[in-house]
Amino acid sequence: MASQEKKRNITWKEIKKQKVLIIWSAIIVAYGVIFCYLPLGGWIMAFQNYKPKDGLLHSAFVGLDKFKQLFSDDTFIQVIRNTLAMGVINLIVTFIAAIVFAILLNEVKSNGGKKTVQTISYLPHFLSWIIVTGILHDALSSSGIINELLLKFHILDQPLNFFAYPQFFWPIVAFANVWKETGWNAIIYLSAITAIDPSLYEAANMDGAGRWARIRYVTLPGIKPTIMILLLMNVGNVLNAGFEIQYLLGNGLVKSVSETIDIYVLKWGISQNDFAIGTAAGIFKSFVSIVLIVIANQIAKKNGEERLF
Amino acid sequence: MRKKMAAGAAAAAVVMAVLLAARTANDHESGDIKEFTAFFDVSENEINEGNEIMELIAQKIGARCREQWLVGKSAEDAIAGFIASGEYTDFISGSVALYDAGALVPIDQYWDNCPNIKNLMPAQKWEQFRQSDGHIYWIPQFGVVHGRSVEVLHEGEAFWIQTRVLKWADYPDIRTIDEYFALLEAYAAENPVMKDPFHPGEEMDNIPFTVLCDDWRYFCLENPPQFLDGYPNDGSCIVDEETMTVLDYNTSETARRYFKKLNEEYHKGIVDQEFFTQNYQEYLQKLASGRVLGMVDQWWQFAYAVNGTLEIMSDQGCGYVPLPVTIDRSVENQWHVKRGAELSAANGISITVSCEDVEGAMKFINDLLDEEIIKLRYWGVEGEDYNVYENGVYYRTPEQRAAARNPEYSSARFCMYPYFPRTEGMLSDGINAFSPEYQPGEFFDALVPDVKECLLAYGCKSYVDMLGTNEEPGPWYPMYSYSEMLSSESEAGRVWEQMNRVKREYLPRIIMTDDFDGMWKQYMEDYEFCQPEIFLAEMQKELEHRNMP
Amino acid sequence: MEKKKENNKIKTSVWDKVFVVCNTLFMVLFVIITLYPVLNTLAISFNDGTDALRGGIYLWPRKWTLQNYSTVLQRQNLITGAYITVARTVLGTLLALAANAVLAFIVSRKDFLFKRELSLFWVITMYVNGGMIPTFLLYRGLHLTNSFWVYVIPGMFSAFNMLVIRTYMAGIPDSLEESAQLDGAGYTTIFLKIISPLCKPVYATVALFVAVGQWNSWFDAMLYNRMSSNLTTLQYELMKLLSSVTNQSASAEAMKNAAGTVTPTSVRAAATILTMLPIVCLYPFLQRYFVTGLTIGGVKE
Repeated sequence: MASQEKKRNITWKEIKKQKVLIIWSAIIVAYGVIFCYLPLGGWIMAFQNYKPKDGLLHSAFVGLDKFKQLFSDDTFIQVIRNTLAMGVINLIVTFIAAIVFAILLNEVKSNGGKKTVQTISYLPHFLSWIIVTGILHDALSSSGIINELLLKFHILDQPLNFFAYPQFFWPIVAFANVWKETGWNAIIYLSAITAIDPSLYEAANMDGAGRWARIRYVTLPGIKPTIMILLLMNVGNVLNAGFEIQYLLGNGLVKSVSETIDIYVLKWGISQNDFAIGTAAGIFKSFVSIVLIVIANQIAKKNGEERLF
Repeated sequence: MRKKMAAGAAAAAVVMAVLLAARTANDHESGDIKEFTAFFDVSENEINEGNEIMELIAQKIGARCREQWLVGKSAEDAIAGFIASGEYTDFISGSVALYDAGALVPIDQYWDNCPNIKNLMPAQKWEQFRQSDGHIYWIPQFGVVHGRSVEVLHEGEAFWIQTRVLKWADYPDIRTIDEYFALLEAYAAENPVMKDPFHPGEEMDNIPFTVLCDDWRYFCLENPPQFLDGYPNDGSCIVDEETMTVLDYNTSETARRYFKKLNEEYHKGIVDQEFFTQNYQEYLQKLASGRVLGMVDQWWQFAYAVNGTLEIMSDQGCGYVPLPVTIDRSVENQWHVKRGAELSAANGISITVSCEDVEGAMKFINDLLDEEIIKLRYWGVEGEDYNVYENGVYYRTPEQRAAARNPEYSSARFCMYPYFPRTEGMLSDGINAFSPEYQPGEFFDALVPDVKECLLAYGCKSYVDMLGTNEEPGPWYPMYSYSEMLSSESEAGRVWEQMNRVKREYLPRIIMTDDFDGMWKQYMEDYEFCQPEIFLAEMQKELEHRNMP
Repeated sequence: MEKKKENNKIKTSVWDKVFVVCNTLFMVLFVIITLYPVLNTLAISFNDGTDALRGGIYLWPRKWTLQNYSTVLQRQNLITGAYITVARTVLGTLLALAANAVLAFIVSRKDFLFKRELSLFWVITMYVNGGMIPTFLLYRGLHLTNSFWVYVIPGMFSAFNMLVIRTYMAGIPDSLEESAQLDGAGYTTIFLKIISPLCKPVYATVALFVAVGQWNSWFDAMLYNRMSSNLTTLQYELMKLLSSVTNQSASAEAMKNAAGTVTPTSVRAAATILTMLPIVCLYPFLQRYFVTGLTIGGVKE
């Protein structure tokens, strides 16, 4: 398990000792500054009335106007709510699904079976959302298979158009995510599970532990660091709940719950040739993400868990 | 061992990459044939390099052009990317943003040696293209008609109906929206299902009426009121010719009657219960299955996609024909306007400042407008892609038609330069149209049997005959070319966006609601709240501007 | 004591069997649900385009044809695209793996002086983005545009992959490093000879992620290498093929005058299957690295 950090004083002796590490770090940081931080200069677009012809340097400066425009628009607030809601739901649901799937798969005895199931499970990841939403749309339509089943079992007397009702939208999106990404998301957990020391399992068996005990006391703790790190990372991504699914599955009736920040930016920013709005929204998202991960990281630190930094 | 393999693979990859990169060089001049590049902000099929007709044209005029199309993201992003980079293709067709960015070359400074371009339109029409600095920056690509215009295809909007419905009712005279729906109801009552040609013995439900509301394609839901009142497709408003004022068709009595009708039909089950949640793909699937008896839509939105399958079901009469429907029998329709009329001054192809050979580029377009080249572009090579009757009329054999429709063959053989300028209408011989699609005889012969039979029953030879054709309403037409250019910069543009938002939200609801009158009142209130008068005032200004002699 | 054990054994037997049955059922169900969209796409890819438009194809093509595949495979620049894609996948994966592994190693050293700062530096990069245009301007300034290198250099370091590897490395007992240091090994040796061999599973995982990312890339080809048709990627060529009805912001005006070409859903399906195949073949190759356990050759934690 991860042992405690030893806080060292920054002495010349220490620096000499870690020479190799520091040199490499410097190179890597230089790379990071160039490729990741330098483009952030483009954030100035959010404070300008950006026109392609004027470019970044000459577009008129408008201060916080774009932000004011965004936050005074009720639709934008609604859109934030939608994105956040779908983000949180997706996070929880896909997390649980991937972990549960990985653990259950690990319990499958046959190696061949394990491999086959795993290979099949991540295939949907390669299908584009266009294809997956197409299938989903079809299945949930009035003449689709879901309605057929519901009618057959007399749960409904009339076919239900699932896409006409806002309350179904978020669950449908969550389901689509689980369907498509569980197998792929589980890859990390499965590889973490293989890293667990087999002698721990042997020891557990010797103590008479049954399957559940094995999972609870060996497997889960074994992949806990991975779970924590992924959880922390994805907490920051909660506002990136997507664009494609919502764009493809949404329609006017469910608009109030289906539009995300990215769709808003497309409709009200880019399509109107207003690029500053997109950048402003992006800055907002970054800001929220960083706040979230700092908080999450602190909580993790307090509980002695694996942390991001 | 594995490390060695990995290192080896890496080395091989690097070598491959370097070789390929070195191969770049400039393929720009292969021999004496000039090569240009062009970018269009729409998605079309990229034809093959070494395309046969492209080479033929290249031999004749000494130049070819590699066309690039929009892939993936939106047009605005693509154009903004170009502007940000400052590097453009030689030709570009995009938005006004390019002009604003100073990326375009003034055409009128170079066109003295290019008679085809200069004479493409009368000087008065060219004036519409002049920008505020006095120069012209783009050349229109479509809708320029020389000679007699051939009106066979109706590319615009209409209320379409399947031939079998008309046949069943013995080809009645349908002129109003009430009659249209009454017919649909009657047919649907008698014929709720149809035979499934792909699963013999099985049946499919007929869908009497549907309409598409997917994203930006929802105009067919919202703009019928203008047509039903007998006005042409100005798109964002109605122009009253007598008083020269701009009117709003969204709040008219006709609009209310029309949507009320849709509401009634929806509750009777005539309007597709899923019309509002279906996406474009599903809509096309429904049409292609042959089950939809009628819809309101624009030709290009469905025809190319589904006519292929409908042909196969011709024996069941699944082809569509348009009907001249208005709100009352007393109102004359203007569904179809002559082809030359809808010339938009907002779009065109331009030459960019990245082009190193502007004279050559101008000559390229000029040559493409030569009749001989236009024939190569649209008809192909005589004897191979089309034949000629003794009286000089061009035609295609069934094999030639099939070949033209085959995408693989097409990519290798045909080079239409579809988004480069062309002259439409008849060729100089006066008997052949510029393209097989518009060739009257060819058009009629190529028609599917059930559509042919139906047209003949009405004494028509083309889709346009069913609707009647109309002259260009006036120099201002179409007004939508102006509203399309409005952006959130101007107040009118913002108001326009708001109006659309309200419409998109309410229209499906007023069709689906049980309380039409209440919902309509609410809709009107919210609509008025957007202050549409600001938008209309702006359109009025533009109307007057366009109407100036 | 003995009795208790026996009881436990009997209890676990029954529950265990139930569990195995349920688990198997669950896996079967899962496989069916996950496999369905893939089989569906496969079926559509072998179905005639015009016929596919009518919908209603589920697991079996209705009107068999190989036309879709031939349309895709006969696409002109496909071969060039394939070469470039393979090159960038191989090179990009190796570079990214090496880069992220090194970074993860540094950051996972318990006594590294700037551990926290370096981690924070990289974590933030995951959530901030300058935007498409500034990034483009930067690459252009660095002469990365119109070049192969734009495919592999900018993406080399990635906080996500680094964190995955770091987590794994942190799970390796310190004692290994310590005993190596006692033997006089420097950080480089420790990285190459001690830590890396134990990281096979996570390296394979990250390699898979990066490889898939590289394989599927087309947006960068479009943005940065638009003018160099010999630097096109496989996916970009396929995307060009799929010029069709899913246009997000086409103008009605343009569509009205279109040449009328619509790419069938079936071609899209064929393109998807073709893209998927190599990755599916890649995974079994990597599976051998998902070997159980760390070989602990010395001190037990």
